[in-house]
Amino acid sequence: MMGTYREFRPWLLLLVRRRRRFLLGALLVWITLMAGLALLGLSGWFITASALTGIALSLGLPARLDVYVPGGGIRFFALARTVARYVERLYNHNTVLTLLADLRYRVFGYLTHFDDARLHGERASDWLSRLTADIDTLDNFYLRLLVPPLVALLGVVAVSLFVAIWLPGVAVLMALTLGVLWLVATLLAAVWGFSQSYQQVVDQQLLRRLVVDQVQASAELMSYQTAEWHRTLIASQERQAFSNSRRLGRKTALLNCVVSVVSGVMVVAVVWLASLVFSQQLVAGPILVMAALIALGANEAFITLPASFIKLGASHAAVQRLNELADVPTASKASATLPEGRGLDIQANQLSLRYAHTLGPALSKVEFYLPAGKRAVITGNSGAGKSSLASLLMGRLKATQGEAMVGGVPSLQLSTESRAHHFAMLTQQVDLFDASIAENLRIANPTASDVMLWEVLRAVAMDSWVEQLPKGLATAVGEKGHQLSGGQGRRLALARLMLGNPQVVILDEPFAGVDSATAKHIAASLDKWLINRTAIFFLHQVSSLKLLPGIEYHWHLDAGKLSQCPLK
Amino acid sequence: MVTEETLSLSPRSWLQTLARGERKRLLGSALCGVLAGSQTVVIVVGLAWLIDQLVIHDQSPMSLLPIFSLLVGCVLLRAAFQWGHETLSLEASLRIRQRARAQLLDKLSALGPVWLTSQHSGSLASQVVEHIDTLEGYFARFYPQLRITFCLPLLILAVAGWLDYLVALFLLLSAPLIPLFMALVGMGAERLNRDQFVAVSRLSAHFIDRVRGMTTLQLFGRTFAAQQDVWYATDEYRRLSMRTLRLAFLSSAVLEFFSSVAIAVVAMYVGFGLLGYIEYGPSSSLTLFSGLAVLLLAPEFFQPLRTLSQHYHDRAAALGAAESVVNILNQPSLVSGHRHLPPLSERSAIELTAACVAYPSRGQVIGPITLTIQKGEVVAISGISGSGKSTLLALLADFIAPSAGEYWRQVNSHYAWLDQQPCLLHGSLIDNLRLAAPDASREEMVAALQRAGFGALLTQLPEGLDTLIGERGVGLSGGQAQRLAIARVYLSNAPLVLLDEPTASLDQETEQFVMTALLELAQEGRTLVIATHHPAVIAVAHRHFAFEKGELVEVVS
Repeated sequence: MMGTYREFRPWLLLLVRRRRRFLLGALLVWITLMAGLALLGLSGWFITASALTGIALSLGLPARLDVYVPGGGIRFFALARTVARYVERLYNHNTVLTLLADLRYRVFGYLTHFDDARLHGERASDWLSRLTADIDTLDNFYLRLLVPPLVALLGVVAVSLFVAIWLPGVAVLMALTLGVLWLVATLLAAVWGFSQSYQQVVDQQLLRRLVVDQVQASAELMSYQTAEWHRTLIASQERQAFSNSRRLGRKTALLNCVVSVVSGVMVVAVVWLASLVFSQQLVAGPILVMAALIALGANEAFITLPASFIKLGASHAAVQRLNELADVPTASKASATLPEGRGLDIQANQLSLRYAHTLGPALSKVEFYLPAGKRAVITGNSGAGKSSLASLLMGRLKATQGEAMVGGVPSLQLSTESRAHHFAMLTQQVDLFDASIAENLRIANPTASDVMLWEVLRAVAMDSWVEQLPKGLATAVGEKGHQLSGGQGRRLALARLMLGNPQVVILDEPFAGVDSATAKHIAASLDKWLINRTAIFFLHQVSSLKLLPGIEYHWHLDAGKLSQCPLK
Repeated sequence: MVTEETLSLSPRSWLQTLARGERKRLLGSALCGVLAGSQTVVIVVGLAWLIDQLVIHDQSPMSLLPIFSLLVGCVLLRAAFQWGHETLSLEASLRIRQRARAQLLDKLSALGPVWLTSQHSGSLASQVVEHIDTLEGYFARFYPQLRITFCLPLLILAVAGWLDYLVALFLLLSAPLIPLFMALVGMGAERLNRDQFVAVSRLSAHFIDRVRGMTTLQLFGRTFAAQQDVWYATDEYRRLSMRTLRLAFLSSAVLEFFSSVAIAVVAMYVGFGLLGYIEYGPSSSLTLFSGLAVLLLAPEFFQPLRTLSQHYHDRAAALGAAESVVNILNQPSLVSGHRHLPPLSERSAIELTAACVAYPSRGQVIGPITLTIQKGEVVAISGISGSGKSTLLALLADFIAPSAGEYWRQVNSHYAWLDQQPCLLHGSLIDNLRLAAPDASREEMVAALQRAGFGALLTQLPEGLDTLIGERGVGLSGGQAQRLAIARVYLSNAPLVLLDEPTASLDQETEQFVMTALLELAQEGRTLVIATHHPAVIAVAHRHFAFEKGELVEVVS
């Protein structure tokens, strides 16, 4: 229990920052509940009082009943309930959305500290696929798990105190029953369903992996005629998941029944107790009816509790995963800076890299020196270690052994600002954002003028294409740049690079997906732009080697080992 | 087998078909719901009677003890019906989801590897797992509740009419309003939910978009700006959605208003009637019993509808999920369903006569091709990328059915497949080898791994064959994965091996190894068809075909 609380704590603290919203929202829900109970109770009182007065009048006894005050009260509560419900829903929805912004802001903040191993590691698809769902789970926490129990508890207190004015015994009965019911519907439900609702999330994840396998291995499964075998794996996992869900669902149903039985029996008990008091003429008939009807309406506060609390385990799973993201190995105080306005050399000192959970190193003892302002090319197949080497040089990964130095400073010790200012890299997989061409370019330089944008577009031979687009620079590139072809996406990313003024440039496959005429144009632009900058090209195909201008060094990377190649 | 009629599925019709499969349970659940509701009616009427007896007729509580215990019995009975209602719909929803998932997985198999590789496997997995699970709320809650909403108010109306026809008339007058309000609430809630669904998914997409591009944001030092952007985007969405919600919540407020007003109106009517202020209609025969009973029945009349409106988002979510699933179900299947005829000649492994391949979107890609491959032959197929060599291989592998012409192959003979990115399953080394031969023994597996040059690695693995590999375990390099894939080929004993660029993107050592392995497979008498542009691979082939300008021609060396 304490462990669970500790996991939730940082997120609850985030809620505490909005505590006024939270309390006001709960108050509004409480008012709605109270207005409903008051409406029912007052109506019952009024009817009974009317009936008794009517009988007295018909018997010729002197009797009077003020109909205006209760009548007005009934109308007021009817209206108050409607209005309070409307305001409450609106207000709480606003709170939930505000929290969503807070939560996303915080989680995004965690992710900004990730290094390349975590961003693109093998496990990345796992957390990414659940990220928004996990945040939503936490977001719902407020409306499902915090407000309702608070309101129910306050409701119990208010109702008991009110009834205690006339019927203290009945009030004690109500307070005790509803108090126990509150514990059952919250704590007991949470504990009872915890492991199963936790398992539900795990099951979903396992099933997801099996389905991903079926999709990715479809060729193998079909050719070896083992698709049926794999489907039985999925089926058995699904059966297991469903029997878990069934158990959880039945527990929920059972708790709902308990709430229904306890609150129902309580109403009967309240009437019974009150009638005993009534038969001793210690309380008036209308009061008895009012107490009974309030008891009848009180269960409204409890109906939704079990179903929400029984899923606490699922929320816990979500919180655990989000906490894992927060668990960033405290980034060493990287604060070194590089000198302005002079060329920077690159040196790899016996660089070795081994990823966690792999056999064999990704890079072993890579050693080279590239003087400032010179250009080099490193060739190698995919998987040879080019991306890893690039990440090490840019200080985005920590080497297992050895050190990457830029301008005489270990690049890992450079501050993020300094790295962003002096380094630029065209990554193997370019990231374009779901925004306009101009916005995608301005990521490199927010203050760049349109003239500058056109200039870099011309450098990658995309200016005439953008010009003929109806929206020009404002054209949206779509999610992951899907509105552009692969080659266009790379060229746009390259243009973006040219908006900055870095001293060290790494270009991973700058000509991929580009026809040879365009490649020549781009090579010429690069030649001009790269003057006085230190540059490394990473290439897969040796055939595009001859395109590269001004290359003075050529290394080849094979299975993590670097070797020198003769320049042709 | 998926038939052509599935091509015209709509989200609604698909949901209806699914519901039909579990009609009995869903109906049973609705029935139990109605019975539970009717117990509530009995309880409130009973309470009213009890109170009337106590307060007006001065009965002693002891003499009413049987009635008290009867009420307790009703409470228990109601709980029992509730249990039936919930568990039946739970079971129905579980079975429906199982069936829907099986249908979708069948469809994925029918679409085959050619279609699947063009898709994002993560988003397909979301369809199969999360989207199918989204159907839960619809079948477990909304669907039975809709049936309850049709029956229960009528029952309550009948009881109210028996007690006081004027109140029943009042409820009845509001009854025509109910469908109206239902439509209003429905439309309001549906539009709201649809808009919300779209907006939320767009916003999530924005968030994920920025997360995916984190590397770029870090490289340009723009992470903080992007973080603020995430907050502003969500907050802007909040502002916009609050504007629409103000209106949308009105429709549910109307329902709330109706149920509150019903209580108020009935209370006033009954109160004044009992005081004798109302002269007409049945009000002179009003008693505390009938008055209290109708008062308590009035909110119950609206309760089913209120519950339904609470479950409306389940429906919207299910429709949204169904739409994306149906999109897949409506794709034309690529994989051929029928069995192959054996080749005309005993000695040939594969015979193609004027076979063509056409994609629904792109028309004919290759063909007509006539080709005979003898058993034990090693055939290389070359051509520039996009020329059709992968498509031919997909045709030979049955990943896509010929659009015209004939394809003969040994019936039920399995074959091995190897491409440049061998697939690793989430699981142990054993699971990954079972992919090729589910019944292989551990000894056979170890032998196959050793032949594939994986032996040295195997000794390094902490738990040998049981070591988990891939995302959750030990990561393998491209070369190591390719060796594992070759072990699969050895293990399968498949007489025919289809290889798509098996040597692309390998380090030199592994490349050499794959070459040797290919020769070994050929010496075992297996038939090899290799799509490749690697000169060394072409050199070892017995025959060499090349795609030139869309035609397959044999290259005679």
